[in-house]
Amino acid sequence: MNDKDNSAMKTLPSVDAVIIGLGWTGSIMGMELTDAGLNVVALERGGDRTKEDFLYPKPADELKYGVRLEMMQRPKQSTVTIRRNADEEALPQRHWTTFHPGDGVGGAGSHWTGVLYRATPTELSLKSFADRTFEPGFLPEDMTIQDYGVTYEELEPHYDFFEKVAGLSGQAGNVQGEIIDGGNPFEGPRQNPFPLPPLPRTLTDTLFTEATKKLGWHPYPYPSANVSGAWTNPYGMQLGPCNFCGFCSNYGCLNYSKASPQTCVLDALKQRETFSYRTHCEVTRIVKSDDGETVKGVVYRDGEGQETFQPAGMVILASFPLSNVRILLLSEIGKPYDPVANTGVVGRNFSYQITGSIDMYFKDHQFNPFISAGGSGQVIDDFSPDTFDTASHGFIGGSYIYTTQGPGGAIGAIRTPPGSASWGSEWKKNASEHYGHHMMLGTTGTNMSYRDVYLDLDPTYTDPHGDPLLRMTYDWKDNDMRMTQFMAERMREIVAELKPDYHTESFKQVGDHFDPSHYQSTHLTGGAIMGTDPKTSVLNRYLQHWDAHNLFVMGASAFPQNMQHNPTGTVAALTYWSAKHIRERYLKAPGPLMEKA
Amino acid sequence: MKLYYGNDTIASKRGRDALALLTGTLLAGAMAPGMTYAQGDARPDSQALARGAYLARAGDCVACHSAPEGKAFAGGLEIKSPLGSIYSTNITPDPETGIGNYTEAEFAAALRDGKRADGSHLYPAMPYPSYARLTDQDVHALYVYFMQGVTPVNHQPPQTALSFPFNQRWGMSVWNWLFADKAPFTPTQGDSAEINRGRYLVEGLGHCGSCHTPRGLFQQEKALGDDEGDSYLAGADLNDWWAPSLRGKGTGQGVAGWTRQDIVDYLATGRNAHSAVSGEMTSVIVNSTSHLSSEDLGAIAAYLKSLPVPRGHGKAPADADIKATEQHLSTGTSLSSGEALYLDNCNACHFANGQGASEVFPSLVGNSQANADNPTALIHTILNGAQLPSTPQKPEALMMPGFGWRLSNQEVADLATFVRAGWGNTGGAVTAEQVQQVRASMDERSGFSGAPDSESQHAADTGSAHSS
Amino acid sequence: MTDAPRNRQRRAFMRNSLLSIPAVSVGSSLAFRASAAAPEAPPLHDYYPTFFTSEEWQFILSATDLLIPADDTGPGALDAHVPVFIDRELAGGYGQAEHWYMQGPFRTDAPAEMGYQLPHTPAAVYRLGIRATDAHCRRHFSKPFAALDKATRTEVLSALEKGTPDFNALGIANLPSSTFFAFLLQNTREGFLSDPIHGGNRHMVGWKMLGFTGARASFREWVDQYDQPYPLGPVSLNGERG
Repeated sequence: MNDKDNSAMKTLPSVDAVIIGLGWTGSIMGMELTDAGLNVVALERGGDRTKEDFLYPKPADELKYGVRLEMMQRPKQSTVTIRRNADEEALPQRHWTTFHPGDGVGGAGSHWTGVLYRATPTELSLKSFADRTFEPGFLPEDMTIQDYGVTYEELEPHYDFFEKVAGLSGQAGNVQGEIIDGGNPFEGPRQNPFPLPPLPRTLTDTLFTEATKKLGWHPYPYPSANVSGAWTNPYGMQLGPCNFCGFCSNYGCLNYSKASPQTCVLDALKQRETFSYRTHCEVTRIVKSDDGETVKGVVYRDGEGQETFQPAGMVILASFPLSNVRILLLSEIGKPYDPVANTGVVGRNFSYQITGSIDMYFKDHQFNPFISAGGSGQVIDDFSPDTFDTASHGFIGGSYIYTTQGPGGAIGAIRTPPGSASWGSEWKKNASEHYGHHMMLGTTGTNMSYRDVYLDLDPTYTDPHGDPLLRMTYDWKDNDMRMTQFMAERMREIVAELKPDYHTESFKQVGDHFDPSHYQSTHLTGGAIMGTDPKTSVLNRYLQHWDAHNLFVMGASAFPQNMQHNPTGTVAALTYWSAKHIRERYLKAPGPLMEKA
Repeated sequence: MKLYYGNDTIASKRGRDALALLTGTLLAGAMAPGMTYAQGDARPDSQALARGAYLARAGDCVACHSAPEGKAFAGGLEIKSPLGSIYSTNITPDPETGIGNYTEAEFAAALRDGKRADGSHLYPAMPYPSYARLTDQDVHALYVYFMQGVTPVNHQPPQTALSFPFNQRWGMSVWNWLFADKAPFTPTQGDSAEINRGRYLVEGLGHCGSCHTPRGLFQQEKALGDDEGDSYLAGADLNDWWAPSLRGKGTGQGVAGWTRQDIVDYLATGRNAHSAVSGEMTSVIVNSTSHLSSEDLGAIAAYLKSLPVPRGHGKAPADADIKATEQHLSTGTSLSSGEALYLDNCNACHFANGQGASEVFPSLVGNSQANADNPTALIHTILNGAQLPSTPQKPEALMMPGFGWRLSNQEVADLATFVRAGWGNTGGAVTAEQVQQVRASMDERSGFSGAPDSESQHAADTGSAHSS
Repeated sequence: MTDAPRNRQRRAFMRNSLLSIPAVSVGSSLAFRASAAAPEAPPLHDYYPTFFTSEEWQFILSATDLLIPADDTGPGALDAHVPVFIDRELAGGYGQAEHWYMQGPFRTDAPAEMGYQLPHTPAAVYRLGIRATDAHCRRHFSKPFAALDKATRTEVLSALEKGTPDFNALGIANLPSSTFFAFLLQNTREGFLSDPIHGGNRHMVGWKMLGFTGARASFREWVDQYDQPYPLGPVSLNGERG
């Protein structure tokens, strides 16, 4: 609680569990903990969001949602500062450019794209894989990758369950070891096929599939949480078939088609008398107990500025990864990471996502890009961390290469030839003639963790209440740039097959520096990582805090380094995994679920 | 001062229990079950009490005997009838304003014969002609429940005051002699036990005929059971909202085209592979049928599927008609005004094939609103939208937006006319005047509007322009 | 101060604008409209801006007209009421940077890749940028921007895009001319291509130019109709159909 004057602080009756943040992980934990008989309160920083907010045609407003980013966290309330290295002064994201952290009930789960992946067995045990695979000394000395501490086999049932919750649509590639044609042959074995078949194929899907097959690769449909048909999930919640409305990433779904806390969990959760939630309540501190082993509740500020202490038997920290790390640092729970001394853990192993793209112009194709669904697309996984000899190309890691039809909006869909005018009649003619004739290729890849890439509290900038902002120290590294250049080569092979009239490229190169003025990805990971050694992780393998056994931290802040695949599936699977151990073991005998080695 | 914006009533209510739990090292072994039920096994009549509570659900007593915002069973709901307004009575065991002084015999007389303890007659807004079917055992269970399981509320609802001659309650004895002639239920020979159970629930406590059987000149249901002719449950106009035929044996629109499981799903959750609940039936599902056992719902379904469809019942749309409309809409060319409006407003969920998605978006093909003689319900739904109830099995309160803010009367008329003629539907054309009448009658606060709110006018947020 | 006729007209316009906002709150059907015809916005020359002064308004009219001109490809920014859109955006929360992080210190010399680091709200960027541009034009051409001939205005906009005019030398600190231009261009495109509910893209002219379908949001039957031109026009949030 620091030295703040808390004389005006209000104290509420205690609850069994308080959940900080009501997005995917908070909603899932709400179900699991009320199932276990607990009284649960969720505190959400943003406003409420119900189906009524997503009624057709409200979301179909590109300016409001796609450009002004209505569904995102308000930078005024809290933002991050960014620098590329310790010698730079970190500066705040004054409005979001490089990533889009969500806000409000549903969190990022309401405005995500709906690409729902599993991690591969290798990626969960990447350090062990590297030790087996590469010559000693191959990995850069400052690379700090680790195993997650949980295996694919352990997570598989939880992936499986969440995929049913979300109505995952697509084609399995590996069911119980049997490789299935048309699916991703490089995925880990799954006990069940996908709940629903793939979405219908767009023109871009078909062109990509034909080209990559010719190249001998293995295209498969994006595993999509924009569902292909009517679906009732294990909670009795329902999804309707996606109609390719074109308003997906950054938007709430107007058709009950995108899996989200609203469509998949919340109405079921709200039926439970032992659950309640409060909106516009921003948690500022988790409060440590005097016993040094637990926390005793949280302090939050409500919509009218009232500071309130909510005592709780357990605390589930379930906000966005950056917010998770900031709350831990502000609460002084766990030792902050010091990259110079290489001590401490909170803020360590922050990582991001390596992306790149190619844009192709086809005079003779009409793509109708407004016919677009976030989870629709075709992908190859032929260049994953363990599917080819990356060492011979000088890196560890891998990327998937994909296409998706779109973008759905108009403002964001303007394409004009390189070097042409950006306004006036020339621009107008080009914009008009090029609209609908573009197809994209993208790559989304691993990002390793490094000793000098981390999160801490900013020494200069504060939020409106005087609490320091989170500071991100991040830059691109040669290993990851060599990987993305390798992917650019593969994508050029696809371009050569497809023979567009022209194409443009956007790839990072060795020596480039992180550019936060452009959108990169909202897949920010690490900073409060899981593991098996308290000296190198904040959480044990059950997402339980090493230093406070009744504090559990959900989300991608637990990833020791980022994987190529989109994080939501693994975030959800880890939440169910943690919940299982809370229910089956922790509630029966509260205490550390792992011994400190 | 308002502390929270969210719905936090529950936390504060339960906070004290939680605190008690958590003094100590918390949690371990101390997890109380989330809910406890009132009835204890020690009570002598605990079985009858539980059964009575269940039967009160089956009878949906709470629907009429509670005012909006009022306490359960304390009465006061205004029931508008062609004869004037009738106010429901307090049936809590409060001795002064409720039925606390009723003996079981007096209770049974009110329930089955429409006769109050003071000897005066009830109006048949109370479905005693149906409740006459109740067995003595069930009347006993209900009596035990209302005396022991319901919280007494001291509340005097407004008195019913109909105009002359309808305020002469004695006149009801003549009406009763003419129309309320049912005796306690006896199984029909030759039908299975399941069908007979269904018949008992439908004709008796369920009083389904109150809405779904057409009424005669004297506001009497034309049939109180399937033995009184095929007008029983043959569909009726209820305050301009078509309560469709429930007769399910044969082919045709609506329930006739549903499987037994479709009926069970609908009653349990308000939705099934074809349809979604709207109008008055929504509260029946919320308060009554969603709480019935799957055996009882199965029995109801079996019974309804045993009733032959009425004469002149609408035919189910033919596949060729469905396909023709689907193909025409999918070309997107040569469209009528109604077809274009459908593509511009409805196609996102109901699709060109009109069939929506099972249990999520109701099918418009053979849809009761699209085929009813009276188009009011369809117009109302287009203007105002609709919302499914949150039920234990299907908690999602799916919402259809209203389009009244977006479409003119003529546009709604064109759209409704198309929906009532597309995919083989046989409802008639709709006029702008009919739409205007429905608009004028609507409660302004009752809609589910898809209108973007005024904030979007000044969408103020993180911007996109940045220095280059 | 007495400007009664103008205020009357503004009120009339505001009433018309409000008419085009069908429901003021969720769940309300107060604003049911009974006729299909959307209320016609007044012609641009009758619009009285809320945010811009009359001099600024002349600048916005003449600048956006060049950024997206009416020509053989179709209607331009003025036909689309882009200036109305920008005026409304700047008068609202966006103009005030309502949700932006605007606490100092401001490192106005930060490298471009650190994103927007100026102390100005978007409203201030316009206020200062127009003042500086007009000062620049007066210095070089003896007239404000709006009074220049088309060729000279085009030249000035090109210079702004390149960041050549030094606003600092004209007394406007901490505002690169290219930043002002970037705001102007981005907001002009937004006004041309966003839903008409925001004040621009009148009669959906921007969408029709592209072949964009607006808030139609329903394409299940068209996903696999490859290389076919989509046959239906756009629909706006308010149900205007083109």
